[in-house]
Amino acid sequence: MSSYSVTEPSARSKSVAAVLVVLYAVITLLPLLWIISTSFKTGPDSISYPPKAIFSPTVEGYVNLFTNRTRATTEQLATMPPPANFAEEIVRKRNEVITGPSRFGERFLNSVIIGFGSTFLSIMLGTLAAYAFSRFKVPLKDDLLFFILSTRMMPPIAVAIPIFLMYRTLGLSDTHLGMILLYTGVNISLAVWLLKGFIDEIPREYEEAALIDGYTRFQAFRQVVLPQAATGIASTAIFCLIFAWNEYAFAVLLTSGNAQTAPPFIPTIIGVGGQDWPAVAAGATLFLLPVMIFTILLRKHLLRGITFGAVRK
Amino acid sequence: MPNPLDTAARATPDRIARKLRGLSDRAIAWAFVAPTIFLLLAINIFPLIWTIRLSFTNFAANKPNAEVKWVGLRNYERILTDPDIWQTMQATAHFLVWTIVLQVLIGFTLAWLINRKFRGNDLLTTLIVLPMMLSPAVVGNFWTFLYQPQIGLINYAVEFFTGIPASSFSMLGSVTLAPWAIVIVDTWMWTPFVMLICLAGLRSIPDYIYEAAEVDRASPWRQFWTMTVPMVLPFLMLAVLFRGIENFKMFDLVVQLTGGGPGDTTLLSSIELKREAFEKWRTGYSSAYAIILFVTVFGLASIYVKALNKVKER
Amino acid sequence: MTAFISGLLSFRRGPWEMLATILIALGVVMLMQPFALWAFTWSFVVTLTGTVMFIITSHFPE
Repeated sequence: MSSYSVTEPSARSKSVAAVLVVLYAVITLLPLLWIISTSFKTGPDSISYPPKAIFSPTVEGYVNLFTNRTRATTEQLATMPPPANFAEEIVRKRNEVITGPSRFGERFLNSVIIGFGSTFLSIMLGTLAAYAFSRFKVPLKDDLLFFILSTRMMPPIAVAIPIFLMYRTLGLSDTHLGMILLYTGVNISLAVWLLKGFIDEIPREYEEAALIDGYTRFQAFRQVVLPQAATGIASTAIFCLIFAWNEYAFAVLLTSGNAQTAPPFIPTIIGVGGQDWPAVAAGATLFLLPVMIFTILLRKHLLRGITFGAVRK
Repeated sequence: MPNPLDTAARATPDRIARKLRGLSDRAIAWAFVAPTIFLLLAINIFPLIWTIRLSFTNFAANKPNAEVKWVGLRNYERILTDPDIWQTMQATAHFLVWTIVLQVLIGFTLAWLINRKFRGNDLLTTLIVLPMMLSPAVVGNFWTFLYQPQIGLINYAVEFFTGIPASSFSMLGSVTLAPWAIVIVDTWMWTPFVMLICLAGLRSIPDYIYEAAEVDRASPWRQFWTMTVPMVLPFLMLAVLFRGIENFKMFDLVVQLTGGGPGDTTLLSSIELKREAFEKWRTGYSSAYAIILFVTVFGLASIYVKALNKVKER
Repeated sequence: MTAFISGLLSFRRGPWEMLATILIALGVVMLMQPFALWAFTWSFVVTLTGTVMFIITSHFPE
């Protein structure tokens, strides 16, 4: 037998394919690179014509993102004590003074609290339900599973109307708890579907052996199934986290101050005469970068969950 | 901790033991499923039933104390005979059809190229996937910057390659260009999704099929159309249905890009629903609208699940 | 075609699900087509019928 194989593409077709895919990757990543680079530009650099690819980087955008500022005249600035830190120094050069921290820190923290809170809840409840669906005869199982899946597909705005009324009555609107429960309600369907797929793949024999050894069902679940499903649980958790992190429709309709997350907040960052693009880009960079890094680091586990577990590898 | 029921089970004859264990299994099954079902009832089903009820009334959420009148099917009648609502459905259709066409064409081509298995293809796949993992609202907001007539990167690129002056057109401000501007951003964001599913489809084709075709001396062109395409088609169906459902209810990305404008040309159904429900506060009317959208999505979702099960059997 | 009809008559799942799928698809097309307002008006009824039919027929035997 020769080493020639019909399913192994020729070297030439491989390199042509590689060049085309690299070209696409460059084009598709350009907007993301542009966000990151804009966050390090000064205001005038960010809106120059032609667009600047090479510029001297500054953290002005980040300073603007985290602070509220006000204009000051040169005389006022002259009477002030010397700038206490690098942020003050940058701001003073533009004849401004810092009046206090901006809302961005709070909003970012809200995103973290609501994201992790809802992920934790969905994974906890989802693992239990997925295990039950995978191992036991649940009456109307298929209907329940379909029902669970279809709730995920509901248009958020359609659900938002009654949720808005319900939360208003219960006093849950614009609270962290309300948002955590809401995102859990949306995420749990995905969690159950994905986790059921992962648990289905764990051989039943392991638990049966444990049961014979005198473990109770619950002990077998905790000490045999959970460790086996750990990677599945972790990648499902990332999916839930990314959803809650990125969610916009519910956040913009149901939160206004206290529990507002970053996605509705970032587009509202404005400077003098319109959006302050370096600050917006800085907010976007800080907000998007964790997801990008997660995606690259965890690519093997993430890609599978993308279509409710239909993608196997 | 030893469970008394279990200890009892081990001491009793096999048949009864199994029965006891079976009983506790059932209890465990319910205990495990109950919290999920309860949460779904509270967050999804109860609101849904409430929406159905509201859809037959003239309730307005900003006037909770006003008298609520039962109007029967009047809300549905008004929505389904309203040419403006019909118009938003057509805007949705334009968005839906073109995003799906472009994403399938580009996504399949990419998957087909990546399936050549050149070195570094998995890292490239990850990089290409990045846009779809990001927040549509935040990214959509930044795209308005890229689309700026004078200073935006997109307009500059168009000027650079075609010579059309960058300041002479506005992707988001022009009635003819805006519907395409949102198609471009959605395609940029979601082509990787279609690509991933096609890739899964391509990788599910066993090698021996091609080996057999080689023995039969089928041309590569013939192999592509008679084997590759039919084998990937169920996966492609899945991708099309999923993107169809997602884009039918598209909200965040387009709200940030155009907000429905200019002149309602990109007013998709979800954005119109948001206006009716949360700006005009016609809660009863918009509940009926929500039910219409929901039934459509639910119908498509049932087809999707059927297709998904078919693919999973492979 | 005759197999399809006899399948419908004997309440088999396959043909009924197919019919429901066609109705849903037809309803969605009617909802978003740009040609006739009456088709838009009746689209919801068609989709609803198809969806309900789908839920019921998914419990028919294979």
